[in-house]
Amino acid sequence: MLPPQPALSLIGSAELAPQTTLVIPVIGGAIPADVAAAAAAGGFTGAKGDTLRLHAPSPDHAGRSVLLLGLGKGGEAKAEAAGAAAAAALGSLRHIAIDGRALPRGLSVPLALGAALRAWRMPQYRQGEMPDDICRIDRIDLVVEDPERLGRRFEEAQITVEAVCFAKTLTAEPSNILTPAAFIKRLSKLEKVGIAVEVIEGKALAREGLNLLAAVGRGSANPPALVILRWPGTLDAPPVTFVGKGITFDTGGISIKSADHMWDMRGDMGGAAVCAGAMLALARRKTPAPVSAVLALAENMVSGEAYRPGDVVQSHSGLTVEIIDTDAEGRLVLADALSYALAHLKPRAIVDVATLTYAVGAALGQEMAGVYANDTVLAANLAAAGEKVSERLWRLPMTDRDRDALASDIADIKQCLAGKLVPDASLAAAFLSRFVGDTPWAHIDIGGTDAREEADERYPAGPTAFGLRLLDQLIALRYEDPDHP
Amino acid sequence: MLDVAFSKLAAPKTGAVVLLLAEDEQLSGLAAGLNEASGGAVARALEVAGFKGQKGKTALLLAPVAGLTRVLAYGLGKRMELTTSVLEEAGGCIAATLAAETQATIIAEGIGGAEAAHIAYGAVLRSYRFDLYRTKEKLEDKPKLAGIAVLLADATKARAAFVPLKAVAEGIFLTRDLVTEPANILTPAVMAERCKELTKLGVKVEILGPKEMTKLGFGALMGVAQGSVQEPRMVVMQWNGAGTRRARKPLVFVGKGVTFDSGGISIKPAAGMEDMKWDMAGAGAVIGLMAALAGRKAKADVVGIVGLVENMISGNAQRPGDVVTSYSGQTIEVLNTDAEGRLVLADVLWYAQEKFDPAFMVNLATLTGAIIVALGQEHGGLFSNDDELSQKLLAAGTETGEKLWRMPLGDAYDRAIKSDIADMKNIGGRYGSAIIAAQFIQRFVNGKPWAHLDIAGMAWSGKDTAITPKGATAYGVRLLDQLVRAHYES
Repeated sequence: MLPPQPALSLIGSAELAPQTTLVIPVIGGAIPADVAAAAAAGGFTGAKGDTLRLHAPSPDHAGRSVLLLGLGKGGEAKAEAAGAAAAAALGSLRHIAIDGRALPRGLSVPLALGAALRAWRMPQYRQGEMPDDICRIDRIDLVVEDPERLGRRFEEAQITVEAVCFAKTLTAEPSNILTPAAFIKRLSKLEKVGIAVEVIEGKALAREGLNLLAAVGRGSANPPALVILRWPGTLDAPPVTFVGKGITFDTGGISIKSADHMWDMRGDMGGAAVCAGAMLALARRKTPAPVSAVLALAENMVSGEAYRPGDVVQSHSGLTVEIIDTDAEGRLVLADALSYALAHLKPRAIVDVATLTYAVGAALGQEMAGVYANDTVLAANLAAAGEKVSERLWRLPMTDRDRDALASDIADIKQCLAGKLVPDASLAAAFLSRFVGDTPWAHIDIGGTDAREEADERYPAGPTAFGLRLLDQLIALRYEDPDHP
Repeated sequence: MLDVAFSKLAAPKTGAVVLLLAEDEQLSGLAAGLNEASGGAVARALEVAGFKGQKGKTALLLAPVAGLTRVLAYGLGKRMELTTSVLEEAGGCIAATLAAETQATIIAEGIGGAEAAHIAYGAVLRSYRFDLYRTKEKLEDKPKLAGIAVLLADATKARAAFVPLKAVAEGIFLTRDLVTEPANILTPAVMAERCKELTKLGVKVEILGPKEMTKLGFGALMGVAQGSVQEPRMVVMQWNGAGTRRARKPLVFVGKGVTFDSGGISIKPAAGMEDMKWDMAGAGAVIGLMAALAGRKAKADVVGIVGLVENMISGNAQRPGDVVTSYSGQTIEVLNTDAEGRLVLADVLWYAQEKFDPAFMVNLATLTGAIIVALGQEHGGLFSNDDELSQKLLAAGTETGEKLWRMPLGDAYDRAIKSDIADMKNIGGRYGSAIIAAQFIQRFVNGKPWAHLDIAGMAWSGKDTAITPKGATAYGVRLLDQLVRAHYES
């Protein structure tokens, strides 16, 4: 069976086998002389996004196919997109190579990275033939003159591929396979690279006062858990903490969802997967920054044990919460996770990632995630990190009026408002803001960006792991300087 | 409109009196005199009520002094933090609290003339009421407050400062009237006639009917209008206030005026459909803005253009799947007849940029439900191709309390309206539909500096706020008046 991701390696010219299909990137229209005539006949000019496949076009390429890949004038972000286009065009092959010999380093690695990320595929549970539109690529070689020189940069790309594919596969797994307990088992991969994994489950949840998390998970036969991941780093500073929503399946509970598209809810743990993947990337590249993550894992099911609309639950922070809609469960588990993180990890900054609302997709579509923050600097750093890795954020308002709207007649705070034409993403952020005190905090709502129904230029169909590279980049940009830890 | 007078400081002898008190300050001047006349009763009552002048706090004393019916103490908060918006809120609160009185005297001792004018402004704005169709209401149930007098040292300055504010208030009231009127009364033709009243203020008003618009080639607007027996109109209002000093490009404001929006063949659900009488609030705001600018003789050349149609269902209504040719020449596949506002704006904006070579265009429209889901009812959505214009608009929003929040635009959103049969379709998918609507409109501004304000969440308020009674808010009039005042009149 195919692994869900291709192996990405760096090779010199000598290791390039004569039959391996080769991707030849073309910058600024500079087409190699030996294929120029064929390119002209095929209408290939080297414009951005242009591809042309040629079979044995010249004596140098007598035994192989070649894919000419137009980069336009080039640029790092564009290079990733071009790499993705190459992988999409060659998805029926097992093994491809990318010719980086004529490219500057800043382009060849992103090109290979883009191709490897695009070549990820859903876990395959089928017995019979794979349909044609599933990408088959399981090996991508980047050919360079001097493999030694690219070492560290290439290794970071390999780490990114590993971490993103880890998170995507977690997110794509069906919920009968990926229960909260199974999710925790998969975290052994993180333990192997030096991340400490602590699990709070069973009676300990109540003992710790994680009652919101317990309430959400109560309706399911697969019990909830809170997971704490710790990477010590080497700098003497409090950790940056990520908090992820990990609802392994979300029926909506008693406030049950409509049946169409409910299958999609197997991905409602995408935020937790993103946080775990970011931890994996950071540990694999041995960041000096102390980083931790708290994952709130639960399954939101309907049963005689399930929590109800109208229930009042005391949160870990002590605030009592009136439940209005059991399908707004994400903010409940996050509230306890945030409050727990504050109390036990004493973070310098806290960022949560969650597939939280439909409203954020209605607001911003699938191109940008919404970010809410109580700290302008943190929000700006996140936005800058997002620009760098093309996981773009747009700040949305969270106002006193939103907070006031959550006043309850019976408890300290209401979980959400009923009704359709309400700014639910802002209200959810306002709810969470009650659980973070004065700690710099940002909330990233990936409700619109977490998955693609169909493959597009950049992403294959399925989860995007949107936010993972952004978190990794945030640490790299802001928290690794030993002089300003 | 509430009658407003500014007078010199003199102890009031009758009626209702308002004391404006800053936080933690002793009673002084006329207020101290009043307290003395009451034998110290005023100070005792304020203490018992826990009133220390905290911002927005009130205490109402009944007949504490012979001759006076009520004394209302209103807290201004810290004197150092006093802003005009605090004073406007004070005025609004006074008008609401003393609605049963016929006359109120406000002691504004220690407040400058220019600032004190905003107390009256707030009171005027809050006392708006649309009474045309209440024929049986008992007199005692109606608000009676007919006038306020503001007492202060520099009454002359206050009087002068109030003149332009009153003109803006007149504009706001015009907008509220138009937006509140039901759709059987306020048809496109009637609304256009109401615009003609602006000629009294010196505005040049030109009205185009279906014949003219068909001849011009307004296929997008006419397609929306064709299902209704009410004829569409486009009204062009020009205010040339800059004088002849030098020729400048005019500022252009464009409003969506769907006098009723049933959704057309893509009909809306019945619940809440009555709200669609105010689907012309963008146009209403542009008309009120023109009245405000002309009323206060703004030194700027401004053009207001509104596209007025009714979106109805009939045997002649536009169908989903129809393809229309807009005035710009671009063709549009109409996939949802309830996304009609952008079709109207498409033709009007193209006309505006072609005819007037504007410095910029700002359009207002109750365009999408998605903007309400995105931003709620506290910010209008701002979409723009021009960062400088955006900054000015955001600042004007903060200054007037008519706040905006910028939203993104981008190619990825633009791709969502690619059509298989025409140059574009009028809706995208279920994601980001307010942004996609803005992308659609952007295709009709021909690269000119432009901002689109989606005011679907702001045009109507379900509850009273400090200076706006529930109902039509006239959101946009103060915002854009401030934009013009701050940047385009020097």
